[in-house]
Amino acid sequence: MTLPPPPLPVIALNRLAFGPRPGDAEALQREGLARWLDRQLAPGEPDDAAVERHLADARLRIRYAAAEGWAAMDEERTLASLDKPIEALWPLADNRKPMPGAERQMPRLEVAAATVIRAVHGQRQLREVMADFWHNHFNVNAAGDQTVAAALPVYDREVIRRHALGNFREFLEAVATSTAMLAYLNNRSSRAGIANENYARELFELHGLGRGAYLNALYNRWRDVPGAAKGEPAGYIDQDVYEAARAFTGWTVEDGAGLGGDVRLPATGRFTYVEAWHDNYQKRVLAREFDPFQAPMADGRRVLDLVADHPATARNLCAKLCRRLVCDEPPDALVVLAARVWTENRRKPDQIARVVRAIALSADFARSWGGKVKRPLELVASFARATGTDLTATNGLLGELDGSGQKLFGWPAPNGHPDIMDAWLGAAAMRRRWSLLLGLAENWWKTGAPDPARHFSGPVAAGPAVDHWQRVLFGRDPAPDVTAAILAGMKLGPDATLAPGSRDGDARLRRIAAFVAMAPPFHQR
Amino acid sequence: MTVTRRGLIQGTLAAGLATMPGVRSLAFAADGSPDVLVVVFLRGGADALSLVAPADDPDYLAARAPELRVATEGPKAGLRLAQEMAPAIDFRLHPEAAPLAELYAGRQLAIVHAVGLSDGTRSHFVAQDLMEHGIGQEGELARTGTGWVARWLDGDGARPPGPVAAVGTVAAPPATLARFGAAVAVPDLRAGLAPPGGPQAADVLAALHHGESPYERAARAALGGLSAIDGHLSRGPDGKVESYGAEGGAVYEETEAGRALQTVARILKMDVGLRVACVDVGGWDTHEHQPGRFANAVGQLSRALAAFHADTVRYHGRVTLAVMSEFGRRLRTNRSQGTDHGHGGAMLVLGGRVAGGRMFGRWPGLASHQLDRGVDLAVTTDYRAVLAELVGPAAAARAFPGFRTPPPLGLQTG
Repeated sequence: MTLPPPPLPVIALNRLAFGPRPGDAEALQREGLARWLDRQLAPGEPDDAAVERHLADARLRIRYAAAEGWAAMDEERTLASLDKPIEALWPLADNRKPMPGAERQMPRLEVAAATVIRAVHGQRQLREVMADFWHNHFNVNAAGDQTVAAALPVYDREVIRRHALGNFREFLEAVATSTAMLAYLNNRSSRAGIANENYARELFELHGLGRGAYLNALYNRWRDVPGAAKGEPAGYIDQDVYEAARAFTGWTVEDGAGLGGDVRLPATGRFTYVEAWHDNYQKRVLAREFDPFQAPMADGRRVLDLVADHPATARNLCAKLCRRLVCDEPPDALVVLAARVWTENRRKPDQIARVVRAIALSADFARSWGGKVKRPLELVASFARATGTDLTATNGLLGELDGSGQKLFGWPAPNGHPDIMDAWLGAAAMRRRWSLLLGLAENWWKTGAPDPARHFSGPVAAGPAVDHWQRVLFGRDPAPDVTAAILAGMKLGPDATLAPGSRDGDARLRRIAAFVAMAPPFHQR
Repeated sequence: MTVTRRGLIQGTLAAGLATMPGVRSLAFAADGSPDVLVVVFLRGGADALSLVAPADDPDYLAARAPELRVATEGPKAGLRLAQEMAPAIDFRLHPEAAPLAELYAGRQLAIVHAVGLSDGTRSHFVAQDLMEHGIGQEGELARTGTGWVARWLDGDGARPPGPVAAVGTVAAPPATLARFGAAVAVPDLRAGLAPPGGPQAADVLAALHHGESPYERAARAALGGLSAIDGHLSRGPDGKVESYGAEGGAVYEETEAGRALQTVARILKMDVGLRVACVDVGGWDTHEHQPGRFANAVGQLSRALAAFHADTVRYHGRVTLAVMSEFGRRLRTNRSQGTDHGHGGAMLVLGGRVAGGRMFGRWPGLASHQLDRGVDLAVTTDYRAVLAELVGPAAAARAFPGFRTPPPLGLQTG
């Protein structure tokens, strides 16, 4: 089942987009990748008309039994949380208020539904790919925490999507001051005295410098880290984590917490800085001295500056971007090239867009194929796009995605869903891949199914039908062994006639589409 | 039966090396069924100082906020452990761990304290990687692609692993099984494991995946493992998988640990050649609100372990379960009612062959000068020493190459 790599437009649309729709590869071929990138990376409206329409039409069902404090519920709702400000969502985070868990989880389901809809229907495909990348890079778990769930629509809209192609230093501060991250990594409860290290540690290890720059096993004292004497330490150790945690004390959320006496913070869910909770004394982070009693938030901002400017951060982020956009084990030269673009443009408002562009236009990008496997979201979206399915997101589909291993906004650890092939090839996960494809083809979850009449103008022989779905789904010439495998398994002769529009014909043509999609070439990126 | 260490050592001198505690390898029962190791990994760094607490240690009392300590008296007092590891200290299990206290008193459960990595990392991801790959230093990671269980099973010339030799209970197989071709990752059996689309789809899938790419090999292994397990699931007349009937009065709760251990027990009893099961249990990264979250997590874990032990009573002669975590947590509590990442932890070993009712290891103390880097419980027993003892010397040599196995602790009764 090993085929030669497809042409560049198909490669690009599988890695810089959620797969080609019919005609997309030809259009990209005419336009050229550079101009396609110009359009995809240009600033623009958040959503196009097709997305707006599908978002407005989407419905999610919510159902729960009556209990002390609430009545039974069974209704379909629009994705009403998506545009709400944090103040309007914040009551969902209030654990003193009796409320069924299903209500508290609605924002996560709505953002997940919108994510699927945008991946399938959005014109701004590269931004959707990058939003998915950043949601995993700056992972929060909305499935395990009602505060994170309540804050998720704002996090998705104002933090991740707003900065997905922007400037990394600005992005870092948007994350550090987001309700979702302040709750998820506990900085909102961090106080002078003994600070909470959770956020500071993951800022270094995951968001910024990366675990390769964590030198704690080698050095016990900051001044022993190579380069520290010049103020340019090669990496960080736990002493940097302790000090950075102190720098972020006071960065918190208006969650009604007591400030002493009868005074309390308002309960709005907004970011706030509480000077009385900040550790004001001198600090030393990454071999730089911080004087005591700085202006409000200056300590934390300076840590973000140091993290954003550190060469290890450029290296870590660019390696991850190359892993997402090119292959699981990107060539070192490509990472170095991307890191140079990253560093040169680190004060530019479109720093990230420039790096993405450099990676996409590199020779390594065009050369590599099959070094990645699609994650379940990519599998779903690319199947819907290739087959021209007018897909909507439903509870059933989202539930199946949850079970596939890619529970959107529900990964428990702060490192996000894994981005290497091995993590997605467990036995039950493979079974879920096949289920997702068959379920979409046969409309198990009322998402809308492919319409054979759009693909076949009249009765078609089984052999050419299998070949057609291969052209559509693989973006290249059909493989005879795939055709043979499917016809044999379905006990169909190559000349057996299948009539679109008839019940039996549609059922078989849809099943053939699912089987073609189960073939290995459709799972590669 | 009460077994003293002294009696065991005298016995081994007479019986020879093969029955020496700790040198007994996980091998095969008389009927040829393999021994089974279940590894429960507590993801996030479980606070060993709350799970198995030095409850009256003055340094512990001084450094920890009262609500983050295990008490020696009062309604929430910890459960006292009879032990000789550090007789001067009143070690207690967390009050929510009553099922574990019972297993300990019944000599089915042993505890190894101050155990972990020799490497100085406090990173979840680095520490988990080291342990899952079975190594001690970060420098070895780049040249170690395989998990320790993969090396153990793959190198077993005497008994090549079958299609269901290793099972993981999460969607992604843990790195412990990395590069092990036959690992089956199955979180749940209740809906069955047959591929969707019936026999027709099964035929097509088999025909579509005949190449040697990693993806195609994984698909073939999945089809093989799934059908081997699915074929043993009993189904009702409607074709639905029948609910699992646990033995020994065991009740599995609807929790991560309960579901996973029920899955393991069910596959174990299929007698399909299971040798290792890797179970992940999350929720231990308690930087904030630790008292309630930890109590909840310990209660769920303890009840799930007790259910598994009761349910697998017919298998006690050949099943051993080990509980581990990537590190313990900081001695000193933070101001979020939590604890940050630490170093030394505790391991639990459970099973019919375990020299239970004892604590093993060397207690390093909690005074500032005794702490690792001045902040965390020091490690006096390498985590590999425990695992090596459970799998036996031949397997340990494959699983942990380059690790100099210390003298056995005596975790097993022979």
